[in-house]
Amino acid sequence: MKKITSILFTCLLTWTIQSQSDYSTSLAGIEWVKIESKSSVSIKTHDKKEIRIVLNDPKPIPEKAKGLRLYGDAGEDNTTVGFNVTTSGNNLIVKHVRKSGEAIIFLPKSQNISVTNSWGGTTEITGFSGEVEANSNLNGALVLSNLTGAVTAYSLNHGIQVNFTEINQNSPIDIRTTNGEINVTLPEKTSANIVLSSWNGDIYSNFDIKTKEKDGLKSFSDRDINGIINGGGVNIKLKSTNGTIYLRKE
Amino acid sequence: MKHVTDSLTDYLDGLLNQEESAAIASHLKECSTCKQALAQLKELFGAFEQEDVLAPSKRVREHFLEALKSEQTTKVATTLENNINVLPKKSGVRILLKIAAGIALLFGAFMLGRNQNERQANQSLATQEYKMLEMQQTAMISLMGNQSPSKRIQGVNLITKFKNPDEEIINALVNRLFLDKNMNVRLTAVEALSMFAKSETVKLAFIKALATEKDPSIQIAIIQNLVRIQAQNAAEPMKYLLEQEDTQPFVKEEINRVLGEII
Repeated sequence: MKKITSILFTCLLTWTIQSQSDYSTSLAGIEWVKIESKSSVSIKTHDKKEIRIVLNDPKPIPEKAKGLRLYGDAGEDNTTVGFNVTTSGNNLIVKHVRKSGEAIIFLPKSQNISVTNSWGGTTEITGFSGEVEANSNLNGALVLSNLTGAVTAYSLNHGIQVNFTEINQNSPIDIRTTNGEINVTLPEKTSANIVLSSWNGDIYSNFDIKTKEKDGLKSFSDRDINGIINGGGVNIKLKSTNGTIYLRKE
Repeated sequence: MKHVTDSLTDYLDGLLNQEESAAIASHLKECSTCKQALAQLKELFGAFEQEDVLAPSKRVREHFLEALKSEQTTKVATTLENNINVLPKKSGVRILLKIAAGIALLFGAFMLGRNQNERQANQSLATQEYKMLEMQQTAMISLMGNQSPSKRIQGVNLITKFKNPDEEIINALVNRLFLDKNMNVRLTAVEALSMFAKSETVKLAFIKALATEKDPSIQIAIIQNLVRIQAQNAAEPMKYLLEQEDTQPFVKEEINRVLGEII
């Protein structure tokens, strides 16, 4: 009897912990999921049409906070996992209320995602085929991997690393930093029109970039390296003010 | 095979027969120019499917009508001149005169017909160009309002299709610079506007933006443009940036470097 009680107790405890560090809701009718955070967030795919937020390192809630609700400049925690989740039109707005603490967010593969990090930490986005918009407005790093959709990414002080497994020819890719480096890997056979430019940094690539002004490619600035790879195609622009740029083949 | 750009619209709409369609498909495999034209058309049509149709601005319409009118006047004048020149001035022989008159009449009629055709061709060319411009302007403005930042960038980049964009387009780009939430779109808008930095609207927008802008990449891009066009009144906002504590050191360095050039 003692054994059964202790097993039941363990189950109950696990369930309680689980319920406190795990949140999910349906994504029906949602076109864009917009995530705002001040710390590290990792965004991964799963095969359900819902968002699931899992705390990665749930710090113990202070004893004194029991029975109280977490509030922050991003709103109140309405998920029990430190996030504020609301809908606005066809957007799902997901705000990290805690100022620290990492989280993993699971979304369907084809989801359009917009992530803004306004403080620091690393934003990881892996495996998506929808459009990805990633902004790091202060000190955060952006690590985007195994993507196949359009990407726009901007980082102020940290670097951006992007790895594409396929390039969607319908929508341009635009990646920029002010002070960090840009490190982009494309499949070897990617056809694209490429613009590479860094005001104070150097540019490296192992692609055979053909620069031909005659082909109707127009440069906005004299500093741009403007060319085509594998016959030309969708526009891919990598630009930095002070950072180094690396464009490599897979 | 010659370029097939003229038939691409019909090709996309499925109006061609199997043979013609196959010929175009095989040409597209080899010709990058036509392939690019097809991609552009698809892009435009795609944009239309997604968006509500907007009417062209009044200015575009007026410009077009003026251009058409002047085109017609020039062609009519040339035709008359040609007819007068071919008539013989003096002749002693009646029969020769008759023949000459006959030839003149024939030639005149021929020239008239030819010019008529040319005029019609020119008109239809002008109409086509206008239609294309109209389509591109609509596509550009609607793409710039899209929810997807990548599509908005695509819209901003359509600026390369316009040699003399009208105020509506310039204002739409200025709005992207000031109001867009995405930094990539804003920076692309600065690049697009810098192609027309000499325009008073763009110059004023740049000076205004410099006074409020916090992002160093945008600050640098605007400073470079204002120096390039020698905007005298740009010195004030630049000096203001120099005094601000939160202006990044490399931006201050650049301002110090260029300030002498515009005063």
